Amino acid sequence: MKSDLSFALHRIANHPERILTAMFVVVLAFLVINPLIEIIHDSLVYQSYDLAYFPDAKEGEFTLFHMTRVFTGRLSNSLFYRPFVNSLMIASGVTALSLFIGTILAWLLVRTDLHFRPAFTALAVVPYMMPSWILALAWLTLFKNDRVGGAEGMFTFFFGIQTPNWLAYGMFPIIICLALHYYAYAFLLMSGALMTVDSELEEAGAICGLSRFRRLAKITFPLLLPALGSAVVLTFIRILGTFGTPALLGLPVQFYTISTRIYASLNARNMGDGFVLALVLVVMAIIFIYVNSRILGVRKSFVTLTGKGFRQRPISLGAWRLPLTAVVALFMAVTVFMPLLILAWETFMLDPGDYSFENYTTHFWVGESDYELASGEEGIIHNDNILSSLWNSIKLAVSAAIFNGLLGILIGYAIVRGRGTKLSKLLEGMAFAPYIFPSIALGAIYLGMFSTDFGPIPALYGTFALLVVITTVKNLPFSSRTGIAAMLQIDKSLEETARVQGIGWFRRMWKIIIPMSTSGLMAGMLLTFITAMRELSLIILLVTPSTMVMTTVIFAYQEQDATQHANGVTLILILIIIFANILVRRLFGSSSIFGLRQT
Amino acid sequence: MKRYVGTIASTVCAGLLAFAPVVASAVSQPTPPPEMDAWLKAAKLGKYAESPQNWDEINRLALEEGEVVIYSSSSRIAKVAKTFSVEYPGIKVTSYDLGSVKSVEKTVREQDANLFNADIVTTGGSGQVVHELWAKNRLVNFVPDQFKDSIPLENREPVLVRILEALVFMYNTEAHPDAPAIKNIWEVTEAKWKGKVVLKDPLASLSNFMGIATIVQHADELAAAYKRHAGKDIVLHEGVPDAGYEFLYRFLHNDPVILKSGSKAAKASGKKGQKSPPLFFGPMTYYRYNGTKGYVNGLAVNLDPAAKVIYPTYMAIGRQAPHPNAAKVFVAYLLGSTDLKADSKLEQPYNKGESVKLLKGLAPYFDPGSKSPRDDAPFPAGGEVWADMKAWMTDPAFMFSEGPKVRDFWIQESGS
Repeated sequence: MKSDLSFALHRIANHPERILTAMFVVVLAFLVINPLIEIIHDSLVYQSYDLAYFPDAKEGEFTLFHMTRVFTGRLSNSLFYRPFVNSLMIASGVTALSLFIGTILAWLLVRTDLHFRPAFTALAVVPYMMPSWILALAWLTLFKNDRVGGAEGMFTFFFGIQTPNWLAYGMFPIIICLALHYYAYAFLLMSGALMTVDSELEEAGAICGLSRFRRLAKITFPLLLPALGSAVVLTFIRILGTFGTPALLGLPVQFYTISTRIYASLNARNMGDGFVLALVLVVMAIIFIYVNSRILGVRKSFVTLTGKGFRQRPISLGAWRLPLTAVVALFMAVTVFMPLLILAWETFMLDPGDYSFENYTTHFWVGESDYELASGEEGIIHNDNILSSLWNSIKLAVSAAIFNGLLGILIGYAIVRGRGTKLSKLLEGMAFAPYIFPSIALGAIYLGMFSTDFGPIPALYGTFALLVVITTVKNLPFSSRTGIAAMLQIDKSLEETARVQGIGWFRRMWKIIIPMSTSGLMAGMLLTFITAMRELSLIILLVTPSTMVMTTVIFAYQEQDATQHANGVTLILILIIIFANILVRRLFGSSSIFGLRQT
Repeated sequence: MKRYVGTIASTVCAGLLAFAPVVASAVSQPTPPPEMDAWLKAAKLGKYAESPQNWDEINRLALEEGEVVIYSSSSRIAKVAKTFSVEYPGIKVTSYDLGSVKSVEKTVREQDANLFNADIVTTGGSGQVVHELWAKNRLVNFVPDQFKDSIPLENREPVLVRILEALVFMYNTEAHPDAPAIKNIWEVTEAKWKGKVVLKDPLASLSNFMGIATIVQHADELAAAYKRHAGKDIVLHEGVPDAGYEFLYRFLHNDPVILKSGSKAAKASGKKGQKSPPLFFGPMTYYRYNGTKGYVNGLAVNLDPAAKVIYPTYMAIGRQAPHPNAAKVFVAYLLGSTDLKADSKLEQPYNKGESVKLLKGLAPYFDPGSKSPRDDAPFPAGGEVWADMKAWMTDPAFMFSEGPKVRDFWIQESGS
């Protein structure tokens, strides 16, 4: 009996990943599953809003009212079915387009002898660093027609013809703008994967007499498939939940998506409808992940980072080298420099949209308070609010990045080493779950969860710590994916060698695993940093005046129609992110910028 | 049929209420629980309110409390805080600029979790403020004595109004120099304005939604206006209960242009140099951009059957507020000085010098399109037209009981 117990203990001690996994499952059950249960619960009970239809009902009583309303009622068509189809079409369109752009770009920048590759590689992720609605605003500046009135779009201004509605608003521009923002996922994943494809494998194929095409189809493509799968999952689900761009470009032609419907429901404090629709997204995401994992199935992992030799030879583009460089340069100009330029330009304009010379001013940057301008708001560099929010943003993003980096590696380790067990699968699913929550709903639920003591957890509400917690949780899907990817590439044999020598777990982690995954770790941290800097709806219910961050300041300026101030702060935000990115690359020289790799 | 009766009933009620002085509609506050009762007693609020209020005492206690925490739907509250801290350097103002939805959301969520942080909640959304906050003991009404005579009953019961604003139709005066572009509200449902009415999404904006719902509420007057306009009785579409919903039905099927931002909508109609500018529906406060941004918006002042829908932004003291006396002082400050009179001379900038001494917390809101709840306060330059525009008032009871149905109707009839 005793020996059984000590044997069992020994077995567990031999599997530190199981202890880790169990620990994470418990913590995530509280942080992730609990909110999910709340959402399900709230969608199945009467809310204050429903009393209009049921004056005698009591708040909190069980009802299928929202379920039937959303799925079968007379509203279901415009509340659910049509937006649902729109969401699916947008998500498919964006996924296809961004995969196309991302893959080609990744191949050109990783495997070929294109000019200026380092510069292009750095620029390729800049669109992702900007808030996604910036491209939508730029699109409107270029293509809007007289349907939304106001100043003319540039196209109309120069060519004198009104752009058709389908070009200016709705599905088409939404897909283009989102794809130009989110191709970053595909680009990062594919370049990560391409970087680890050993040319020797392809050459081996060539020696065996495979044609160029067959080599691509039989060797390179299967190796890239997992990355492709991850890119599809990440992009597709992210697009389903995106709100800003569909709202800006869809509303003028009454084009709704599930996410704009959720936002409107939550805005009317109709939590029931909002949460039922949110559940649809959750279920969609789960199905999508499941199908994806079934298709990729056993192929999921390829170990490419071993102790053995590795070599990559760039492919010569020949006569195509110059033209392709030009095309990529043009692409960067349109997606990176143009939106930034428009943004910067507008901060110097007294009246946005008037490009004449006497309309330029530096007031919004350096001016003192002047009643006639910007409702008396001081210029950006004098503005205490902006400066303190800037500091808060950086504090938040850095702390979230550190937590996410560490958690990512540990979760990745636990999942990869325990691969195949049910517990490992469970943890993987739980770590990905925050990705599918609408941010605003998660914020609302955390407000409730953390406003009182809960067992050993103190009431964090109103503290900066809570902002760090929720940001960390929301970014867990990315950091755990990065962690998994990094771990998958480290061959188990490396750690086993150390174990044979009797080296303990902590030392193994510290001396082998963490150093080998530095690039992945930094990558995950940088990604969290970027997302945290840009986060708004997640934390808006949780911030206090002393914990105001830049995005909440931007939001306030936009509400006041202080375009120049809003643009100026946005510009600072983007520059900080870009600067942090350069800094990390300099310090750690990570060849893969984000290391978002296949898992 | 049932809905029809309900709508008629509330229309009739609303009609009656418009003439009779409104005494707190059907809603009332439940008996406060013991811990709230103890707080009310200590703070001299609710049934423990003293009469007359002892302002020396209140000011003294407010300084002892030293802080006031405000949840606000308006970002301009930060400007009030600035001038307030000059007058009361001992009281620190902490203001949360949350927007109307989140002000309500945060108050409800916090109080449900037994957190009482807000001293003052000031936000719009009649139905929610009166029914979800006040009628559930989440807010306590407080009216300073010195203003009881100058604020009409409907502006201080059941919840004190901080500022009144209006929703209006505006048009481009450059394109329509001679007369307002529309005279009858039914014109916006006609081919001439197809795809030519711009508004911020009412599903995402409580104020715009109140405007739409209040129009729908006035079915009989809309029916009469239709007859004046078309010369015949209105024919309802199948399944549409009354002329109010019929107006909304036709409006939505006339392809209105929905935007994410109200200021963009005001720019859409008001920007100079357009060939065929749209109409604007939304807050009249954007009229002030004519002065600051050079827009050429004109107000449809004589619109039949009504030219504006008035909606209130309320202010009240949060349940078990930690600084109730500082809150009282701030409420009084927001209403302006007692020396402010209808003929007071006020000059721009309102937040400086003599003007701010009179206007106090009103200063940032002193522009065309806003009106103090006090009937002895002057109109700002350019805002005098307010008095000439026939008004409908938003009705919290209608907003609460019928609002969701109007909203559902909107969802059902819109979207592609």
